[in-house]
Amino acid sequence: MSGWLRDLALGARLAISGGRGAWVRTAMTAVGVGLGVALLLLAASFPTAIAARDDRTSARDDYRFGVPEVRRGPASLLIADAPTVFRGVDVRGRLVQPEGPDAPLPPGLDRLPRAGEVVVSPRLQELLDRPDAALLRPRIPGRVVGTIGDAGLEGPVEAAYYAGAADLSVESGARRIDRFGSVQPDEGLDPVLAFLVVVAVVVLLLPVAVFVAAAARFGGEARDRRLAALRLVGADRRGVRRIAAGESLVGALGGLLVGAVVFGLATRVVPELPVASLSLFASDVRPALPLALLVLLAVPAVAVVVTQIALTRVAIDPLGVVRRGATRSRRLAWRLALPVVGLLLLVPLLGVDLTQGEGFNPVLTSAGVVLLLVGVTALLPWLVEALVDRLDGRGGVAWQLAVRRLQLDRGASARTVSGIAVAVAGAIALTSLFGAVEDDRAVATGADLEAAQAQVYYTVRPGRDDAAQLDRRLAAVPGVRSVLAWSEASITEAAHPDRSAFLTVASCSTLRRLARIRSCQDGDAFVTPEGPAPGASVRIAETGPWRVPADARRVVSDPKPSGGDTTGVLATPSAAADLTSVGATYADVALDARNPDHLEGLRNAAAAVTPLAVAQELQSTRDDRDLAAVRRAVYAGAVAVLALIAASMVVAALEGLHERRRLLASLVAFGTPPRTLGRSLLLQTAVPVALGLVLAIGVGLGLGALLLRIVGSPVRFDVVPILGIAAVGAAVVPVVTALTVPALRRIVRPDGLRTE
Amino acid sequence: MSAPLLRAEGLHKAFGSTAALHDASFAIDAGEVVAVMGPSGSGKSTLLHCLAGIAVPDQGRVLYGDVDLGAASDAKRSALRRTDFGFVFQFGQLVPELTAVENVALPLRLNGVARRPAEATATEWLDRLEVGDVARKTPGNISGGQGQRVAVARALATRPRVLFADEPTGALDSLNGERVMELLTEAARETSAAVVLVTHEARVAAYSDREVVVRDGRTRSPELTR
Repeated sequence: MSGWLRDLALGARLAISGGRGAWVRTAMTAVGVGLGVALLLLAASFPTAIAARDDRTSARDDYRFGVPEVRRGPASLLIADAPTVFRGVDVRGRLVQPEGPDAPLPPGLDRLPRAGEVVVSPRLQELLDRPDAALLRPRIPGRVVGTIGDAGLEGPVEAAYYAGAADLSVESGARRIDRFGSVQPDEGLDPVLAFLVVVAVVVLLLPVAVFVAAAARFGGEARDRRLAALRLVGADRRGVRRIAAGESLVGALGGLLVGAVVFGLATRVVPELPVASLSLFASDVRPALPLALLVLLAVPAVAVVVTQIALTRVAIDPLGVVRRGATRSRRLAWRLALPVVGLLLLVPLLGVDLTQGEGFNPVLTSAGVVLLLVGVTALLPWLVEALVDRLDGRGGVAWQLAVRRLQLDRGASARTVSGIAVAVAGAIALTSLFGAVEDDRAVATGADLEAAQAQVYYTVRPGRDDAAQLDRRLAAVPGVRSVLAWSEASITEAAHPDRSAFLTVASCSTLRRLARIRSCQDGDAFVTPEGPAPGASVRIAETGPWRVPADARRVVSDPKPSGGDTTGVLATPSAAADLTSVGATYADVALDARNPDHLEGLRNAAAAVTPLAVAQELQSTRDDRDLAAVRRAVYAGAVAVLALIAASMVVAALEGLHERRRLLASLVAFGTPPRTLGRSLLLQTAVPVALGLVLAIGVGLGLGALLLRIVGSPVRFDVVPILGIAAVGAAVVPVVTALTVPALRRIVRPDGLRTE
Repeated sequence: MSAPLLRAEGLHKAFGSTAALHDASFAIDAGEVVAVMGPSGSGKSTLLHCLAGIAVPDQGRVLYGDVDLGAASDAKRSALRRTDFGFVFQFGQLVPELTAVENVALPLRLNGVARRPAEATATEWLDRLEVGDVARKTPGNISGGQGQRVAVARALATRPRVLFADEPTGALDSLNGERVMELLTEAARETSAAVVLVTHEARVAAYSDREVVVRDGRTRSPELTR
């Protein structure tokens, strides 16, 4: 044991003593490993960050489904939704009206606002301080009297408010609650989403792991020469392995330190970098303890293991270093076995119905994806060797130097680009998968965006002529071309309780646009084939029994501009005169949306009718918001991973330049133009990257096809994003070269030739 | 009396606070072999770098013919190093991934010579320096002595007018070192190349026509050695 420790300590001392060169090597390893560690810690923080966010949203939840109705009392509170949108920013709004002294308090507030008062989030306050806030202010009811604390917000960029009210009622759409906080059990992600998340996590973290392993091998040639010198003075083969392990540990531990610092700095900027509404407080970003411990233990272990594996290919003898295997071809068999085993793990998922949650095993799924992608890193050196050996050095000096360099050390070049290949392969598979699943889940709304661009709706207040009032109010808004307003409630027939339809109350001019009606005057009523017969008894939801006018005429409905047919009973206001209220009120609005202020004006007009009105832009499809959120998070992660890979390639290139500085200086000494060396550097990177991208595209498409089959989607690929991902991978080449050239110019100075 | 081929006057060069050269002077004629001698750290290599246009002195002039190397652009100095100067370093500095013949052909190719004629010329020089049998081997697969002869062949392949050799035998045993010096000076004299030979070994300096001693950055030129 003392021999072990002595050798490890000697290795550690070699890593940090020996002058500037040793420090530079160790520092580069530490920086390379540190970048990977920082990203791994950020990934390890993701579960706790999402959990913290979910805890906050759960703590303020005020919806009640499937629970006994709350009775009015000293501890009850009426609360109504009053959301809005301003310049594309969602604003979460709530109107609150306590019914007693013990009414519950939402998280983040120290008292309930009174009528005429409003408490806003910091982000909403920023919006209200903007020069164009006059277009938002009318919708925020009350005088700002306070700020919502962090505990009451989903994230730092959430715009939200609580406003006091005095006229809420359950009949007008408010809810009665006696506490805040979710009462529903968490259903979790649906199985298909869970599958996507697992695949995405594996795809994003694998390149980081590949990179950490590559960074641990920085300075390999210089290390081998040092070890040869130790063999000369008596260290045996096992001893040099232990010494090498000691050197790796220093780099890895330095990397942990660098990674912790970078992670700490990153948490400070996280609140400033919301990714498409996924915002987190800095305090949310804490690595889950088990994952953090895994990173702390795994990184040094990986560094030592990788170094030991590298030493198996090198004979370190007292008289020097000989690289074994330089003339032995890499075996293909075991390299193919990895992706094949990965396939075998994933194939059983074909044919199971993920939507029912059956057959989904996250461990096997991630193992299968990992093996397939690790197969890329195993196949790439073989591919590089097979193709590079066939290149000859004919061509310019830059090409000759690059090709010969690649032929001499194929492993190093393949290792460097393995991260890109894995990231691109994984990103192509993920993009194909997300694209197909999103297409499948997108629901067509049926909206005719030529006829209307916005819709306003609200649950009716007592009164039957809301549609006419809404029509007049909205028509006066600048930019509004036409308004189609109606009131609507669902109806059921006593004779056919399983059949449902709607009662639509509107003016004749509106009814003519909702159905094929030749003549109409106030007092008329109409029925569609899907609705009840004239004279039938129906029950109007929220209102009560009603009889369809016996003289109602039969008509055929037309689609509404916002989508959907008007089926059931269509009545003019006088035909429904005996009703005190009719369901909800809607207005489809044709709007000149070229000026974004017009939409904001429409929202203000709707809010003036009632703060509970919703004014929204019409869309042709309704997307799955959970899926969209996961996709955004994945793309953010992919960008971070590719940035890491680019940074790592720069570090690797600089480390390579540092190792060859004397040679490069001598080349410049006898007249090699630095631009020739720069071109050679670019080609040394470009050739393996090109090969890596070819392999990555093939594996990515194959994995994507398999994953699409697993989720039951047809296999189809959108070429544009795939080419885009490959282009981003290829762009790493000129970026890395451009960032390396200044160091090249510094390195090829006469100092590199000094022998004294 | 014709002007020296290469001449330096009043050179000063410092690296940070360390003065490597202090009022150093030097001159060499075509076909002459001059040894620059001195203890370690005396400024020998710095003088060589300034003479070769690799480094620019802080003060003083280096004239190659009528070209002031200090005032010339980096592109001009690089071009001169490709066409008129040759270099041999202590550790050869051969490109490890190129074969011996490709290493020797490299300066010719940088001068625009096509690959085949460049490698043909390189092969001739390798034969002259008695290492023709290692033409297709990489530096990692040849001995130190063979590698240094390849380096000499590379330096001479462009028929330079001035050959700069910085401790060319420093990494060789005495037998190999002597043979390398014989071949180097023989080939240089045949091509009428001037040789600036930096060394701290008297036996190597014995191959020169005269010596320049560098001590603490200053130069001193004793009588001709032969």
